[in-house]
Amino acid sequence: MTKRTGVFVCHCGKNIAATVDVKKVAQELAKDDGVVFSEDYVYMCSDPGQTAVIDAIKDNDLNGMVISCCSPTLHEKTFRDASELGDLNAFQCEIANIREQCAWVHKDMEVATEKALKITRASVRRVQHNQALEPIGVPVTRRALVVGGGIAGIQAALDLTDAGLDVVLVEKQATIGGNMLKLSETFPTLDCSQCILSPKMVSVSKNPKITLMTESEVESISGFVGNFKVKIKKKAAFVDPELCKLCDDCTPVCPVAVPNEYDVGLTNRRAIHIPFAQAIPASFTLDEEACLGLDPVVCGKCEEVCDVGAIDYDKKPTVTEEDVGAIVVATGFDLYGMEHMGEFGGGRYPDVLDGLQFERLCSASGATEGHIMRPSDHKVPKEIVFIQCSGSRDPENHCAYCSKICCMYTAKHATLYKHHVPDGQAYIFYIDIRSGGKGYEEFVQRSMENDGVIYLRGRVSRVYEKDGKLKVMGVDTLAGRNVEINADMVVLAQAMEPSKGTAEIAKILKIGRDKDGFLAEAHPKLKPVESVTAGIYLAGAAQGPKDIPETVSQAGAAASKVIALLSKDQLAHSPTVAKVRDPWCTGCEMCVDACPYDAIALVDGKASVNEVLCEGCGSCVGVCVRAAIDVKNVTQLQIHEMISAIMA
Amino acid sequence: MVNVEEIRDFAAGLLERGEVKSVLGFRHGSASAFAEPCTLTEADDAASLVWDPTCLNNLALYLVKDRKQQAASKTPDTRPVGIVAKGCDSRAVGVLLQENYFKREDVVVIGISCEGTGVVDPKKLSNKLKGRTASRVTFDGADGISVSVYGDETETVIPAREVLADRCLECRAAAPALNNVVFGDSVEARDYNEPFHAAKEAENVSEDERWATWEHHFDRCLRCFACRAVCPMCYCPECVVDSTTFVVTLGTSAKEKANRIRWCERSANTSESAVYHLTRAIHLAGRCIDCGECERVCPVNIPLRLLNTKLEKEAFEMFEYQAGHDIEQASLLSSFRDEDPNSFIR
Repeated sequence: MTKRTGVFVCHCGKNIAATVDVKKVAQELAKDDGVVFSEDYVYMCSDPGQTAVIDAIKDNDLNGMVISCCSPTLHEKTFRDASELGDLNAFQCEIANIREQCAWVHKDMEVATEKALKITRASVRRVQHNQALEPIGVPVTRRALVVGGGIAGIQAALDLTDAGLDVVLVEKQATIGGNMLKLSETFPTLDCSQCILSPKMVSVSKNPKITLMTESEVESISGFVGNFKVKIKKKAAFVDPELCKLCDDCTPVCPVAVPNEYDVGLTNRRAIHIPFAQAIPASFTLDEEACLGLDPVVCGKCEEVCDVGAIDYDKKPTVTEEDVGAIVVATGFDLYGMEHMGEFGGGRYPDVLDGLQFERLCSASGATEGHIMRPSDHKVPKEIVFIQCSGSRDPENHCAYCSKICCMYTAKHATLYKHHVPDGQAYIFYIDIRSGGKGYEEFVQRSMENDGVIYLRGRVSRVYEKDGKLKVMGVDTLAGRNVEINADMVVLAQAMEPSKGTAEIAKILKIGRDKDGFLAEAHPKLKPVESVTAGIYLAGAAQGPKDIPETVSQAGAAASKVIALLSKDQLAHSPTVAKVRDPWCTGCEMCVDACPYDAIALVDGKASVNEVLCEGCGSCVGVCVRAAIDVKNVTQLQIHEMISAIMA
Repeated sequence: MVNVEEIRDFAAGLLERGEVKSVLGFRHGSASAFAEPCTLTEADDAASLVWDPTCLNNLALYLVKDRKQQAASKTPDTRPVGIVAKGCDSRAVGVLLQENYFKREDVVVIGISCEGTGVVDPKKLSNKLKGRTASRVTFDGADGISVSVYGDETETVIPAREVLADRCLECRAAAPALNNVVFGDSVEARDYNEPFHAAKEAENVSEDERWATWEHHFDRCLRCFACRAVCPMCYCPECVVDSTTFVVTLGTSAKEKANRIRWCERSANTSESAVYHLTRAIHLAGRCIDCGECERVCPVNIPLRLLNTKLEKEAFEMFEYQAGHDIEQASLLSSFRDEDPNSFIR
């Protein structure tokens, strides 16, 4: 077939034209073999620009089209759709990126024009070998999995069921609720955290469309967008939630006491326990690790006292497989460990607390029923120091990033403290106050003006114990002097970090993480809730530090993405997938090992690609020393042609 | 010490019982003291097998040839093959197994430990003998090699260190780990050069000097492809850097033939030869088991081993990967570890 290739070179206003002589690029390419049409235009993505593409295809009977413009992540779809309207197969239209990869990174017009010409010429040579391809249709499972039962997961699950979808909600702990459960009041309105969260938790438990799996974890995943198969491992349910009538006869007889996670270690609980009063599912649960070996010969006391026979030590963990079409990952955060804060006495002095522990002291459902007192001697602290950015914004020693919520919750802590201890004095050491958000700045101002909180701009070098007090050595950089405070209690606004299981779940689901370990979004601005893997979405603090309103918004956004995805009967899968060149394949299996999507298997001694699983990433091409595998429309011949065009 | 009679008996037994169709081994060379490869099919022939420091070849190459023959044959003989293998040769079998080129049950590895020594470098030996031709070369004790020359049958004992092949001086595993039987002991303390000694030495030179050296070598390359022909890992149906090996089947279209890629031209000039050698080196990364055959057969003495061992050194230092050491392991290029030192990949 004769090559009839068309080229459009976009000015992008001045974005490209300021550095690249676009007219010259278009004129030079017009002289190339097989190029029958080559023009420049000011805004290709505008409606007239797209019409020009359609007309050019029809008028010149084109069988290949190159648009030399911005990144294909932005307008590849625009121009492929336009090509289809001109009766040219979408996959015979390619983008040459001369903006991000050329105009924006150069200053010298001559050099940039030369480079733009080469980039575009390479795409022309490539498109001349492109095949016409049709998208691969894939059926969809109209069910979703939500991983993590904190506020993000709860919100996403509820929103999904509102759209009529069935949801499997997996939570590692014995109850849903996550970190928000532990909070006393929430900024800036100071409404009770549990009071706003528990109605949602109840909605989850009463919702027939939600399959709630607590004490469960995702074990493995296979499949692809629209058709995932997820294996979920549930810990042995030693207490039957259907039978348990919450009588609490079992805890008094249990001989084991371990730190209570719900109270962040401020109190103890028994091996058999209910996480807290409003736990969902409402049932006692037996902590396998803490229980004396689950061996009735050793203990067996709780089973003896249980009237209804809800306890069975012989229960085994179960693994179930769920078919879902999309996944929302909302695995939340943990606070940066206190053990890292040696200079502040973190983990060493009982009266040096982290933010969540202080929440428990303030909370009416906490160990002290909302009375702020020192864990060491139960005295009411009269002078209290809050240290912000503890572990945050410290690239040398701790986390480089800002944890975003600490300025606000520290202001809240100081305010709450004054409400509980009116004759006390609160000090806050800070670097900056970051209070962007509706009503946030006013809240901080109130804490200073109404509650007399003393804000000291500067860092703390050391906290140590002396004569029953915590000596805080800091600096007030505004006054230009050192500060020493004899505090009764110190609260560290610990950095947020991705929850312990985040690395593991990212590995299982094959979704990326950023340099700080948070789950990576597909695009920082335009795809903030999509993961890098199609069909897997992100919500909440697992993706980055954020407060409750933001978490809820993101969960809703993730849910709406899932709803949109699962609203179709069929999904279109890109046909630019790997293809094995049989005679060259020796069956060495390197591509099978290298494929991140498990899309390749050996069939009769040769590699064989499952096109539906293949994402066309090219990892297989990279490892095949025999050049026996190619990605359609990015074949080695095409790469060779592109290199030749650039090197010529 | 390895008793060659035991090897002969074992090989004869395999053939006698029909457990293998043939045994690949070494026999006295017809031209010099150096042993030559042989294929035994009869038990009686086993008496011709030898084991001495001149058993240079990596016989795994012939397993590849057998496999190709089977693929081409209408009535292939699929019975297993026995192979006499030194430590390095057994690793070559290991890589081939790792790459599914044949199955473990298709091969009976008759392992021989080089113990405290190894094989000689013909050039070093020739220099040592000042041009005279050796008539007989044998092992002498734990670290000596006994040599006699034509016209003078008195045996001279030379310290092994002086005539051993470079790869043997750097060898980390002289006893074959992959085997059906091993003759000889595993000797841990081999007090020669550290692993990758030559590659490390070569790194001490400035980049410019290194490039000048290699430019010189690539300039001399004849592109005879002897290095590729002797390499058991170069079994690809088509060599990507040699377009004349393009695979043509009944299904190959004229367009495909016309569009075959020439990553490198056949003309033997410096730049094309550089592409050939560098591509070959990269394609052997994590697969080269350092049998040194490429360097031995090069008619213009290009130190090819350096290219390959440099990459094996990188593989070992960055990923603790040793080619052919574990046939269950995923190969270097296709495997990924979470603790990968490169952060971009996470």
